[in-house]
Amino acid sequence: MPALNRRTLLAAGLATAAVPTVAACGGNSSGSTDAPLQFILSGDANQGGGYATMAEKYQEETGVVVEIVDVPYDDLQTKVRNAAQANDLPAIGRMPSVDPVWLDRTVDLADIAAEVKPIEGMYAADEDGKIPALPSDLTAVGMFLNKDLWDEAGVEYPTSFDDNVWTWDEFLESARTVREATGIRFSLTMDRSSHRLSSFLYQNGSEGLALTDDLSEYVANDGTAGALERFIAMNDDEVMPRSVWLTEEDPNAMFKTGQIAAYYSGSWQIADFVENIADFEWISVPMPAQPDQATNFGAAAQIVVFEGTGQEEQALDFVRWLYSPENYAEISRIAGFLPATEGVEVSYDARQEDFDLYNAAIAGSPAFVGQIKERDLALQVSGTAAPLSGDPLRDETVKAISGDISAEEVVENALAQLNESLA
Amino acid sequence: MTPTTRTAPSTRWIAPTALLWALAALFLIPVAWFLLSSFKPGSELFTWPLRLFPQDWTLDGYRTAWSRFDFQTYFLNTAFVAVVTTVFTVFVSACTGFALAKYRNRWVQAFFLMILATTMLPTEVIMPSTFAVILGLGLYNSLAGIIIPSIITATGIFMFRQFFLTVPDELLQAARIDGAGEFRIFFTLMLPIARPIIAVLAIFSFQWRWNDYIWPLLVLNDQDKYTLQIALRSIVGAENIDWSVLLGASVISLIPMVLLFLVFRRQIMNSDISSGLKD
Repeated sequence: MPALNRRTLLAAGLATAAVPTVAACGGNSSGSTDAPLQFILSGDANQGGGYATMAEKYQEETGVVVEIVDVPYDDLQTKVRNAAQANDLPAIGRMPSVDPVWLDRTVDLADIAAEVKPIEGMYAADEDGKIPALPSDLTAVGMFLNKDLWDEAGVEYPTSFDDNVWTWDEFLESARTVREATGIRFSLTMDRSSHRLSSFLYQNGSEGLALTDDLSEYVANDGTAGALERFIAMNDDEVMPRSVWLTEEDPNAMFKTGQIAAYYSGSWQIADFVENIADFEWISVPMPAQPDQATNFGAAAQIVVFEGTGQEEQALDFVRWLYSPENYAEISRIAGFLPATEGVEVSYDARQEDFDLYNAAIAGSPAFVGQIKERDLALQVSGTAAPLSGDPLRDETVKAISGDISAEEVVENALAQLNESLA
Repeated sequence: MTPTTRTAPSTRWIAPTALLWALAALFLIPVAWFLLSSFKPGSELFTWPLRLFPQDWTLDGYRTAWSRFDFQTYFLNTAFVAVVTTVFTVFVSACTGFALAKYRNRWVQAFFLMILATTMLPTEVIMPSTFAVILGLGLYNSLAGIIIPSIITATGIFMFRQFFLTVPDELLQAARIDGAGEFRIFFTLMLPIARPIIAVLAIFSFQWRWNDYIWPLLVLNDQDKYTLQIALRSIVGAENIDWSVLLGASVISLIPMVLLFLVFRRQIMNSDISSGLKD
């Protein structure tokens, strides 16, 4: 059967030949010093767009191409861990935190830190004095009101820290009045995040779940369980919708419907609200204090320069350029960042007063808030703690909102998980 | 036939047909909402009370999505990966399914059980070892690194095996008596009658690869090799989602799948998988 054999052989030949052809498509890694500098980050339109603009400006000024590699936020850590394993790290990264997996593959940024003066407590050195990461920008927790609703109900609210800032009892009472007078659904909604929850705890007599000075243990003060209990009780489908914390309903979208009097979120929402809220006026206000006025603030992300790319010097030059006061002010303006370095004045395109309010909130927060962040960072750069798979405080609080455990158990369980990561 | 008997069947069908239309309309609502929302400006997406139609029709989401992403490259990469993987998946699954269905040997059966067992493992579990293999083979950061591990699917093999089991052995024996060899039996007899399975697996495989996300994300490092899904997910920021861009980009990314459905509608709907057989 000659015809059969030819055809069969041809088919089999084609199939085997195609595999190496496919295998040959693609496959070269970075490493050459002339190649573009890869800068991996995760940014929404504002943040990613800000870095892209700065990369273009840098290319115009120096001829060096910085390629922004935008990766989905939830998988940024996974992606970079795998790149480290593949020995194909990008030149620069803007990472959510410092990861022990690639910590020893970072370049020391101590010289740049000395020049650009990041805000104290927003960066840390390891025991050898190496500073592996610099804060890219600050975020702070804050509160937004649907101004139209509050005005319609004729309820007053503070607009600056010069006023006597309201207590949580006063705020909840005012928000209830607004809700009832305007017929909206809820008084308040808060992002499903321990960063926001910690801020609430600070305002209610707790110091959150904090590392001790020697980084050996997480502890909570006596006020923590009580403050948590207060938060859990607020999730009653009247004051706050339980769906946000229990089923991850989007609080940002809820606020945009105009059915919520107040939204407890943070500075990163300003740019989005300017763009995407047209139906009502909104305003940033000081958060309630009972008794302490406090916001939770920290570095939104960490800039790191990776080692072993052959482009370390070019990457350091770019980072130094990015942090120069003029350029840093520019990216802060474009991306709607709060600056993470000292002495940088930013003129924002819109809502300057809101950014000023956030800066005032940071300045007026008690010292322990900064210390908590500082210790967290010190722990990260020491590389001794195992990465956590979830967020113990948030996850345990969700259990309490669904009625499975008590506030005391939230504290107990979350501390146990955090301390286990130190062991 | 009286007029009464002629109209009776049509009246009998009115209620079920209306019900089916109503159900179809229900399924259409989310799609219609999604499509219409992509023409709304960001400020209209969450207005209360909800409105189906945009008040202020805009293509801004599409424009931003199109200018922000190199769709052409992502389309080409994704299409290349989806087409090549699909061709190989169908061929390899058909060969394996045929062997598992038509050759009697206890080791073949044991092998089949092992293939089936792989469906019990979540992809995430085998991902680190697959990644190590891809690295070792030098396929990291290449489209081949996405294609090769995706070719063999237990589902595809299972589909072909079950189909070939239904083909009577007498058909093969008759072909053998007529002098056909095993390759000829496979290529000229079995493959043609398996056309419906080929179509179904091809459509599934294309869809799986088109929508694949986590594996391309891990394997690809160069933005020029990114696939569509990685680009789409990058619109979701840490705290904010740019909904109008996401909606526009999602609609654009759907178009090839819709075209695929329109072209292969008959095969997708075809359940007559025993065509060509007389038993």
